[in-house]
Amino acid sequence: MQFKDQIDFVSQHIKKNKLRVFMTILAATMGTAFLIILASVGFGIQDTLKKEILDNRLVTQVEVYAADLTIDKANEMKKLDHVKAVVLRQEVNAFQETTLDKYKGQSGLLVSDFEEEKKAGFALEEGRLPNGKYEVVVGHDFAKNLMNEEEVEKFQNQQQGNKLNEEEQAELELPHYKGDLLGMEIAYEIGSYETNESYKEPIKLTIVGIAKAPAKDFILDGKLYADASLIPELEAIYKSHQAEESEDSLFYPNLNVYADELQNVKGITTSLKDDGYSVYSISEELEQIDVFFLALKAGLIFVGTIAILISSIGIFNTMTMAVTERTREIGVMKALGAKPKLIQRLFLLESAWIGIIGTVIAVLLSYAISILANYILPLIVGAALGEEDFNELNVTFSIIPWQLVVIASAISIGVAMISGWRPARKATQIDVIDALRREL
Amino acid sequence: MIHVEHIQHSFKIGKKGKERPIPVLKDLSFEVQKGSIISIVGRSGSGKSTLLHIMAGFLKPESGKITVNGTVTSDFNETQSAEFRLAQFGFIFQNFQLMPGLTTFENIELPLKLKGVSKAERTQLVKQLIQHVGLKEVQDHYPNELSGGQQQRVSIARALITNPPIIFADEPTGSLDSETEQEILALIRSLNESRGITFVIITHDDEVASIADEIYQMHDGVLKAGGVHHAI
Ligand SMILES: Nc1ncnc2c1ncn2[C@@H]1O[C@H](COP(=O)(O)OP(=O)(O)O)[C@@H](O)[C@H]1O
Ligand SMILES: [Mg+2]
Repeated sequence: MQFKDQIDFVSQHIKKNKLRVFMTILAATMGTAFLIILASVGFGIQDTLKKEILDNRLVTQVEVYAADLTIDKANEMKKLDHVKAVVLRQEVNAFQETTLDKYKGQSGLLVSDFEEEKKAGFALEEGRLPNGKYEVVVGHDFAKNLMNEEEVEKFQNQQQGNKLNEEEQAELELPHYKGDLLGMEIAYEIGSYETNESYKEPIKLTIVGIAKAPAKDFILDGKLYADASLIPELEAIYKSHQAEESEDSLFYPNLNVYADELQNVKGITTSLKDDGYSVYSISEELEQIDVFFLALKAGLIFVGTIAILISSIGIFNTMTMAVTERTREIGVMKALGAKPKLIQRLFLLESAWIGIIGTVIAVLLSYAISILANYILPLIVGAALGEEDFNELNVTFSIIPWQLVVIASAISIGVAMISGWRPARKATQIDVIDALRREL
Repeated sequence: MIHVEHIQHSFKIGKKGKERPIPVLKDLSFEVQKGSIISIVGRSGSGKSTLLHIMAGFLKPESGKITVNGTVTSDFNETQSAEFRLAQFGFIFQNFQLMPGLTTFENIELPLKLKGVSKAERTQLVKQLIQHVGLKEVQDHYPNELSGGQQQRVSIARALITNPPIIFADEPTGSLDSETEQEILALIRSLNESRGITFVIITHDDEVASIADEIYQMHDGVLKAGGVHHAI
């Protein structure tokens, strides 16, 4: 029998039992669409999370941890392949006070190498990078830390009359320094955490630049960025106020290595690990996320497969009924000379047809639902949470990659053919004589 | 053309575990000449259909040997048997056994489809034959829209379409009135004469049997040559 005639044969039977076949296809469609949609949520969340991470963090950054991070070690790291910059920031770990005019603040100071900072992407909003040891760049929100006690007190007294609730009070911005920063001279002092008092040995620093605001707008940067050449002077002050035997260090180091490209992060991470450093990089986090989501998606596909298995009971039923109903016709076909293989193929074709049509509809339906969900769900969730800027989070609820379509189709059509297998076998085993004896 | 040698067959009846064999065919041997019509006549239940089923390959005999055109068919497997039927045999049944979902044209076309003949060739062959057996007017009718005689003509046409050398007919007129019966028998006779097709006809009716060149009597699973000859 030619393949075209086989198809004709099958479609003729399907037409004869339209309603029954339709219901079976419907069940197969629902099962498959359920699987695709379910798994697509896994793909969607993974994508959203990855985007979130890649957007908000420096992806080429490798954080390095070790007991003693020194400039020598940082210089060693610069020699590694594909390293763009090595930034060793040393933060002062003591009580700190900054004075500008009649304003005081407690901004933290860190020293770094601005050559490297520049290569790593340190950006200024205004001014320039420090040239000498008494020049500093201040963080974008530095001024907010500078306050005057009298002004603050006056302001708070005023507010007491306003009877604000707690929430509103928290949102109030206290009065702070509003004047120019560039070119201003500030007095920087360190002191003791125990007394919360400075050692009264101020260093005069000139503000030459203002750093760009951090990417995340809820992070405030009120830091002072000074050159590494300031270290000895600060250490001298610190040591003179410490006990002789004290091993405490004024600085707390923080080292980041930057790769030239994302794909080289992995290599740098590995060689740093080999050198005995503890490292953390975004690429590792992405890898862990991938593993987690692989498991999640497998789980979702498994749950979806159960839906398909349930729908396969329908296919099994339909095919069993089709074989039983057509017992006499199958017997006649065999009597006329149809081989058992052909009979089997005709019935497998029929169940495959149900599976294929069900899958095709399910794929189209899933894409429609997915697009609709990505469009409507953010609106609903946004409205429910009352957050207008929910959309800005750019959440993708559902993504259907072609791999998911391939997997779901294979499962669905495979299950359809497996459930059609027994009825098809049964058809081949029909006895010609018995079948011919049947009443019309 | 067909050699039947020492065919024996019995059916097992009774409950599982307590089956006992009932012999139905007892050491049958005979021969069918090429181009002849033979009939096997006998009472209902005498084993005629069982013999035909064995000759056609629907059933394997317990013992004995069938040779068709020099090929031993009695130890074919199912697939070989099906292939052989498609190439060598045509069938006419008492209940016509047409496909209810197919028109006259499509029913006759079916064996050609099974053979894998192309659409164009099929259409041509079926058209010719439909004309020949006088079914032109009802070619688009479904079996339930046809009379018994017409249905049997369709089934004869279906048996003829592959041009087989041998046609088996089990009670070909069993469901027809006597007038229609004569028409069908005349058609068989003329096909035998014009195309040289060998017919094996099974009937309980002596009159039907009498159109044959050779008549066998079946009685309780034993076959005897010769029978009542009626003048035609
Ligand atoms: N499948 C079967 N199982 C048991 N007995 C059978 C079976 N088929 C036929 N028989 C018995 O074999 C005998 C011959 O049957 P059959 O060949 O159909 O006779 P005929 O065609 O001459 O009427 C009958 O007694 C019938 O009951
Ligand atoms: Mg019979």
